[in-house]
Amino acid sequence: MIDAKVHTPSVRSALVAAVAFLFLAGCGKPEAVVRIGFVGPLTGDQAAHGVDMLHGAQLALEQAQQAGEILRGYKVELVSLDDQRSPAQAVAAAKRLAADPNVLAVVGHLNSSCTKPASAIYNEARILHINPVSSNPDISRQGFNNFYRICATDDLQGPAGARFAIERLGAKKIFVIDDMTTYGRGLATEFIKAAKGLNAEVVGHEGITLGEKDFTPLLTKIKSERADLIYFAGMFPEAALLIKQRFELGVPAAFVSGDGTFEVNLIRLATPQAAEGVYVTALGADVHQIPTAKEFIDAFEARFHHLGSYSSYAYEATRIAVEAIRRAGKNDRSAVLAAMKEMKEYRGILGVHRFDARGDTTLRTIGIYAVRDGKFQFLEAVD
Amino acid sequence: MIRKIAPFLLILLLLPLFDSNSYRVDVLCTAALYALLAIGLNLIVGFAGLLHLGYAAFFAIGAYTYALLNLRVGCPFWIGLPIAAFSAGVAGVLLGLPVIRVRGDYLAIVTLGFGEIVRVTVTNLEDWTGGPNGLLGIAHPVVGSYNFGVDSKPYYLLLVVLVSIVAWACTRMARSRIGLAWMAIREDELAAACSGIDTARFKLLALGLGGGIAGLAGCVFAAKQGTITPDSFDFILSVMVLAMVILGGLGSVGGAVLGAVVLSLAPELLRSFSTYRMLLFGIVMVLLIRYRPQGFLGASEIRRELKGGHGSA
Amino acid sequence: MSVFQIFLQQLLNGLTIGSVYALIALGYTMVYGIIQLINFAHGEIFMVGGYIGLTVLVISSGLPIAASPLFLIVVLIAAALGCALLGFCIERVAYRPLRRAPKLSVLITAIGVSFFLQNAVMIGYGAQDQYVPNPLPMAAWGKGGITVTPLQLLIFAVSIALMIGLQLIVYATPLGRAMRASAQDPLAARLMGIPVDKVIAVTFAIGSALAGVGGVLFGSYYSTINFHDGYLIGLKAFTAAVLGGIGNIPGAMLGGLLLGLIEGLGAGYVSTQWKNVIAFAVLVLVLLLRPRGLLGERVAERA
Repeated sequence: MIDAKVHTPSVRSALVAAVAFLFLAGCGKPEAVVRIGFVGPLTGDQAAHGVDMLHGAQLALEQAQQAGEILRGYKVELVSLDDQRSPAQAVAAAKRLAADPNVLAVVGHLNSSCTKPASAIYNEARILHINPVSSNPDISRQGFNNFYRICATDDLQGPAGARFAIERLGAKKIFVIDDMTTYGRGLATEFIKAAKGLNAEVVGHEGITLGEKDFTPLLTKIKSERADLIYFAGMFPEAALLIKQRFELGVPAAFVSGDGTFEVNLIRLATPQAAEGVYVTALGADVHQIPTAKEFIDAFEARFHHLGSYSSYAYEATRIAVEAIRRAGKNDRSAVLAAMKEMKEYRGILGVHRFDARGDTTLRTIGIYAVRDGKFQFLEAVD
Repeated sequence: MIRKIAPFLLILLLLPLFDSNSYRVDVLCTAALYALLAIGLNLIVGFAGLLHLGYAAFFAIGAYTYALLNLRVGCPFWIGLPIAAFSAGVAGVLLGLPVIRVRGDYLAIVTLGFGEIVRVTVTNLEDWTGGPNGLLGIAHPVVGSYNFGVDSKPYYLLLVVLVSIVAWACTRMARSRIGLAWMAIREDELAAACSGIDTARFKLLALGLGGGIAGLAGCVFAAKQGTITPDSFDFILSVMVLAMVILGGLGSVGGAVLGAVVLSLAPELLRSFSTYRMLLFGIVMVLLIRYRPQGFLGASEIRRELKGGHGSA
Repeated sequence: MSVFQIFLQQLLNGLTIGSVYALIALGYTMVYGIIQLINFAHGEIFMVGGYIGLTVLVISSGLPIAASPLFLIVVLIAAALGCALLGFCIERVAYRPLRRAPKLSVLITAIGVSFFLQNAVMIGYGAQDQYVPNPLPMAAWGKGGITVTPLQLLIFAVSIALMIGLQLIVYATPLGRAMRASAQDPLAARLMGIPVDKVIAVTFAIGSALAGVGGVLFGSYYSTINFHDGYLIGLKAFTAAVLGGIGNIPGAMLGGLLLGLIEGLGAGYVSTQWKNVIAFAVLVLVLLLRPRGLLGERVAERA
């Protein structure tokens, strides 16, 4: 016969073999462990940020464990997963954490485009979700009462950037670029709204694809529009290339960008020469200037050497999660949620956090930095 | 003999529904989804002999069709399912029309090009598709008052049923005159055309059916995830499904399922190898074509066709 | 800046990347011309070239000679040699055993090799963008609103030199004659005493060397490289090769420059987001409507 040996049962037996194997491969037994999940981009082009945050979380847990037992009878562990900045992977990681009954709280993610879909999963699983640095305002507007955020949001960052650009730098014609992600698009929209309110002209608004390297056509266009300022809402890999090519093309516009670009690698990738005079907004005041953070900075630098832009937030978020678990007193997600709600305020290294009805912290400042001599220099903080 | 063990097979297949570890069931759901995709691609590559490198596009079309219908007009899953399959199938035919006369290796690249165009277009049309952030809040299937929700078990059952039906249908088709026509086209297109077979029609049929099956899978995927983003539908997915089809054996429905199950479960079982996963994929593909091009369950004539001798397409 | 000046600048932008596409396209076209294989892994060879360049630059960053702009020549040669070797090995190990197999099989093998290379580099160097130090001084030379950097000029110079060099080899040397003969009719060439297998190996080596050079230039120009660059640039270079006419060496050069222009102008006047769609659309349209390309293809007659 010409046709191949094709049986319908062999189809079934394939699936069956798999099922049987998996089933037998792991019938676990309950352990006396309680876990805090951490998710962020640990590999990929955002790894610098993600690993910084992981270190912050690790330090937080270590210090909490040294200070004493957190939950009687249980060991508290940090389980870290990688979302590679991809929403699909973020959702997969969230599901894994949700499926593990020992996970009582999650700290994460970094990118708003990852945090937003993942937050829905944490909400359905009723896990405490503390977000360190995703600044898109919509995340807390989904009505999830398990969601808390400890940083400022873009409905503050955008206007702060706009005010700085227009009032301090005197920009009149602004070209806005974003990376089309939840974060980038959201921040750009807020900026444009505020800029128009301040009577500046937005001469163009374009999106770029993540991973794009060649911005020379776009920058040439900006040069021809005679814009005096470029506002970029996105992350540092793309920003670095924009800044470098802006220099090479001799585009006379100033450059202001959002917190996603606040990373030392920005200056390195763009070359210090090209990055000179670039301004960046960040989600908080300079952590070096907060007295309560000094101990943290010393401990962090002793352990990990390099303090990243987001390390302190991940640290703070993890400390809060630990505190909520301690107050709950038992291995139960709803108890943890209730304890968190009860906690009216938290005195952390960044200041005193009080959470509003949506779960956002009332501690909201935007810091503004300039790049001078190859380093970020803190200029001022606005509320 | 098969008939005797069938009831046991059935019980074993349904066992996961009682598994308490929902992550494990989720992994099996993924395997079943891939199985569906592999069966569909097998129609195109294995039966009709068209090397298609853009299969992920049909998966995407199915997923986005349901997602958009659901989010914009509140279309429920059970109505969205056939619509998604149909639209992906139509896409398969439409994208296939210009392509079927192109010769073998160029065909592969054109389908790759189409796949990428679909993906980048979806990423860019943010107003319609949510852009790179995708679509959130897609409704889960509802039966009566029971909402599938985030529990993997009902999806697993649904997928097992779908895979069984589709596999059965494809097996029947393979033995029918359609299957014979496909085989003739695959072995020697010129001879087939000279024998009076309308090669264009059969090729389009394969593309349409294959696309439609991917659309089915896409719809279930979207409903299960609740969120879809364009980066789930990239070239790597197309190649992975192709690898599954080749591993299992081109032209064999059971082989496609086996290949899908093996390649989607392997990374789970070999956790420590996760960084090397893609690397191993590459090596496996090269070695397979070299030493066992007919895969696990492929027929011996596949080996002949892929190793050398008369050229095809 | 006047409209004309903007146009010139966009032209310049497009031609720069177009030169890189041309270098890579040459490899595709030469290999296809001689054994009718779309070397899917060619883009990865380009990427590896970039990483070789990076490694050399990093290793030698302390040495005094590294500071000289001429050091770039050393880097280019290193990448060319490394990639030539890589291309040679791939041909020997992966493609030669399948010489008589249908193109389907070889294409799948090529995809496998491509995956392997991509991930080997990813495992070795990490998944994030790697910073490539610019060997030339950072400067922007401008006149009348149009700027050009030393690196851009270098890219033009190197590409043109290599393309002229290749034309010379193919048309004025015995090796070139052997290559053309093998491409036209392998059986007859063998009968004439030409060691076709060796010629094929050399073709691969030369094509890969060119891609390697392209990789270093690309990495320096954008100052970052990533293991994923090979896939996209590879596809675009293939588009360029087909656009000009596969198997046709001047065609590859023309196709590369033309594609670079189309892309650059598209990105400048339409939008950067759609740049890749434009490139893929060119690919699809050429393959469907004019597979012979602009200058006509030159492949062996299939028996």
